[in-house]
Amino acid sequence: MAQHRYWLLVLMAAWFLCPAPLSAADAKEIARTVCAACHGVDGNSADPAHPKLAGMDQEYLMRQLKAFADGKRRDEAMSGVIASLDPAVFSGLAAYYGPQKPKPGQVKDPQLAAKGRALYEDGNTDTGVPACAGCHQSDGKGNARFPRLAGQHQAYTLKQLADYKSGRRATDPLMTTVGKRLSAEEAKALAEYIAGL
Amino acid sequence: MLPRRLPLLLLATLGCSFALASPPPETWNAPYPEKTAALAAYGDGTRGASVFEICQGCHRAGALGRPDGTYPRLAGQHATVLIKQLTDVRSDRRSNPKMLPFADHQALSVQDIADIAVYLQSLPVPPTQGQGPGTDLVRGRQLYDRDCSICHGQRGQGKGDQFFPRVSGQHYLYLLREGRAFRDGQRRNVHPEMAAAISKYTDDELSAVSDHMSRLPVAGP
Repeated sequence: MAQHRYWLLVLMAAWFLCPAPLSAADAKEIARTVCAACHGVDGNSADPAHPKLAGMDQEYLMRQLKAFADGKRRDEAMSGVIASLDPAVFSGLAAYYGPQKPKPGQVKDPQLAAKGRALYEDGNTDTGVPACAGCHQSDGKGNARFPRLAGQHQAYTLKQLADYKSGRRATDPLMTTVGKRLSAEEAKALAEYIAGL
Repeated sequence: MLPRRLPLLLLATLGCSFALASPPPETWNAPYPEKTAALAAYGDGTRGASVFEICQGCHRAGALGRPDGTYPRLAGQHATVLIKQLTDVRSDRRSNPKMLPFADHQALSVQDIADIAVYLQSLPVPPTQGQGPGTDLVRGRQLYDRDCSICHGQRGQGKGDQFFPRVSGQHYLYLLREGRAFRDGQRRNVHPEMAAAISKYTDDELSAVSDHMSRLPVAGP
């Protein structure tokens, strides 16, 4: 009799301690209530400081969520939010935002964008900046390995290039090199061109 | 004790300075673990095509390089040559600060190198390489036949099993730039016979022989 009660206790404890599996519906709920404040319900953020996520590769989104979780990427807003999330929800969030339809960005300075285009397609052979198109593709849509850039907000692209340069974002040593080799003017031109892709 | 040891010391010192002054010929391609491993690995061209994505930002689609000579054509190069040059850059046997971050251990595994090499070797070599001015081709051919063809081949095809690069299909301005680097002692991983052959070339001769190489046929057996 005493042994029976013991097993019942263990089962009850196990039931309480195991996290309930997070469903796609849970992820969607979190996306809409937590993430949407910055990234928009459809993944097209209104504030240019926050990235558009719509249309990004899901694996890439997963890698970035994990990078924030383990400190390889840091951001005033995002690092705090990530700490409050259960990592089990990451794949659901990536699956929610990845397939959303990306809205185009807006070029404000066509002359600057033209300079950016030359750099995006050809790189800078003097300083050893590779053509962005080599990895991110000419249309900026990326692939499973390299993220989509097309239509991204200028301010966000610029901040990422600066963060690579400073080491604040350490998710890719190759991009760290690119960030260091780009001049401030080149980074601006690229961000302008990418917004129009 | 001291007088007995002195001759030995002198001999040792002499030996050291001799070794420094003239390295044995095989050191240009002496084995080291990473190169040996990459050469022994089975290269997968399909994987290589995917790994090459990070190279094509500079070496361009199809690894055709740039006619302005800033980045060489890699298409059709011998896998052995590509592996030696890549691992030499990674291990600071060949200086290439621009390329180093894209070729170092954070960027490429040994297997990646084997895969890229097989992929690049299999790529077609269209006759679109940059050529020289064409003003001194007779001298260019004479120099090539006299000094270069014994290793790089009559048609510039190189010898993969001996790590001698293919030079046909390469951009004139790249050949000229590297020719100067060889002559001026900036390419440390060079075969001693290559270094000796090119050491007395004038700028005009370098241009003429590079021009000839850039016009060698690229198609056919």
